[in-house]
Amino acid sequence: MAVADAREPPAPRRRRFRLDLTTPSLLGLPLAWLVVFFLVPIAIVGAYSFNVYSLDPGPHGFTLTAWHDFIHSSIYLKLFWKSVKMSLLVSAIIVVLAYPLAYYLALSGTKRKYVLLLLLIAPFLTSYLLRVLAWKVILGDHGVINSFLFWTGLRDPDHPISQLLYSRFAVMLVLGYIWLPFVALPIFVSLESLDTRLLEAASDLGASRLQAFRKVTLPLSLPGVFAAFLFVFIPTLGEFVTPSLVGGTSGYMYGNQIVDLFGTGFPDWETGSVLAIFLLLVVTALTVVFARFLQPRQVTAD
Amino acid sequence: MDVALSKNGARLLRAFFCLVVIFLYAPIVILLIFSFNDSAVPTFPLSGFTFHWYRDFLENGDLRAALETSAIIAALSSVGAVVLGVLASLALTRRRFRGKAAVSALLLSPLVIPYLVFGISLLLLFHRLGVPRSVLTVVIGHIVISLPYTILVLAPRLDQIDASLEEAAFDLGASRLRTFRSITLPLILPAVVSAFLIAFTTSFDEYAVASFVVGPRVTFPIYLYSALRFPSQLPQVIAVAVVVLVVSLGVVIAAEVGRRFAERRFAA
Repeated sequence: MAVADAREPPAPRRRRFRLDLTTPSLLGLPLAWLVVFFLVPIAIVGAYSFNVYSLDPGPHGFTLTAWHDFIHSSIYLKLFWKSVKMSLLVSAIIVVLAYPLAYYLALSGTKRKYVLLLLLIAPFLTSYLLRVLAWKVILGDHGVINSFLFWTGLRDPDHPISQLLYSRFAVMLVLGYIWLPFVALPIFVSLESLDTRLLEAASDLGASRLQAFRKVTLPLSLPGVFAAFLFVFIPTLGEFVTPSLVGGTSGYMYGNQIVDLFGTGFPDWETGSVLAIFLLLVVTALTVVFARFLQPRQVTAD
Repeated sequence: MDVALSKNGARLLRAFFCLVVIFLYAPIVILLIFSFNDSAVPTFPLSGFTFHWYRDFLENGDLRAALETSAIIAALSSVGAVVLGVLASLALTRRRFRGKAAVSALLLSPLVIPYLVFGISLLLLFHRLGVPRSVLTVVIGHIVISLPYTILVLAPRLDQIDASLEEAAFDLGASRLRTFRSITLPLILPAVVSAFLIAFTTSFDEYAVASFVVGPRVTFPIYLYSALRFPSQLPQVIAVAVVVLVVSLGVVIAAEVGRRFAERRFAA
């Protein structure tokens, strides 16, 4: 009977099966879409950065002027460095906060771990702008915190705590709030796939829980930690929406500068393109470097 | 006896978890409270209960138009992204071809590009081509950013289902297209639905890319952003915020529960 055949591993035969649709007809449309609406547009930004294209009418050709000016400008690089520091700090803090959350969900043996996980990440799946709005309502001079302090008499209404909103602190608080649920996800996945027999073995061999955590759990969950870090660091580095809503002047970030260069006031597309391409290069380099850490490593005796 | 956590450790972590959940939901609850507060500015003490802001929002034509535009864009772009995503995922899971690693890297690369940079790139493309910005230009951009999410949902599902089922249908004389329609598609349907919902909510909420390529018909996030700059509209915006938050939370939870349920049934 054919039933016996069905139990055979079908691996070698699987390769021979072909859908009518050939590989090019499957891949053609998605790849064409990405080339035309993703790669070509980025190349055009590159062309603007070298003055091959220009917003100004008149003669123009390939020059490195905009790049030269960028590298020698203290303003743009300083702003970039400030944004790097803000994003690094936000990413590091929320990864540290998210780790115990993911650890609790994955390893505490709680029965409702998927319900709790959904509870944790659900806010991330709701509107981004509305979550920023909530903090504007909370942090403003007459916002929830200040008006509460006035009401209870802890603070004089003429002197609200005005550093709450429109500050670097506000930007970092809101970014952390927005990304915290998301960060827990990759860490949870890596902890959840951890073989707990390794921990039992460690414990049988006399390791304390702390030792087992340091020697087994932590190293094995590092790919998840790196992934989490990267997934927050990249979008926060290029962030411009949150700083423009709650950042004021002290929370102004590199992304805001790019938007302003493409804005309606005094557009400078060449410089803006240089700033955009530079950001893209940094992000790509980070992704490539981090991708090497993302492969789960085998436990080796060393 | 648990090897990962002591009893006190678990208790401590549970308390921490609760604190974080409170931190995450408190701002949302505060929005909810102020959407019913009878005062033009959201401050303590609360001044009274009203449905006023919800009524205002229902009568605000601009706002309704923006919601409608966003719904249209989200619907078109999510259908586009799911179609492209199914094609790409079939190629990635069912085919062997040279350069697969490079192809899948390209297909997923919109995940890591800063949306700001992508928005500007599209703006410059349409500027060079002389294409006026419209609903369609936003749809094009949203398909690009949703595509990797649909692949991340669809490809693992395609990997899970036993290819010998497709093979059997094919051996029994079904055409290859028929095989896809009658075997593959029903098996991946739960994943298709959740890919669609993810793409839809991604597009509906997307501000950064849309802000560069949006035409005269503004989307809901664009409307919201400009409304945030006029404090007089704040309570009304809060009311809409609450409606959208509750609806999107509901959709997300329903989708997740539905997917689990469907996959459990199919898993047998």
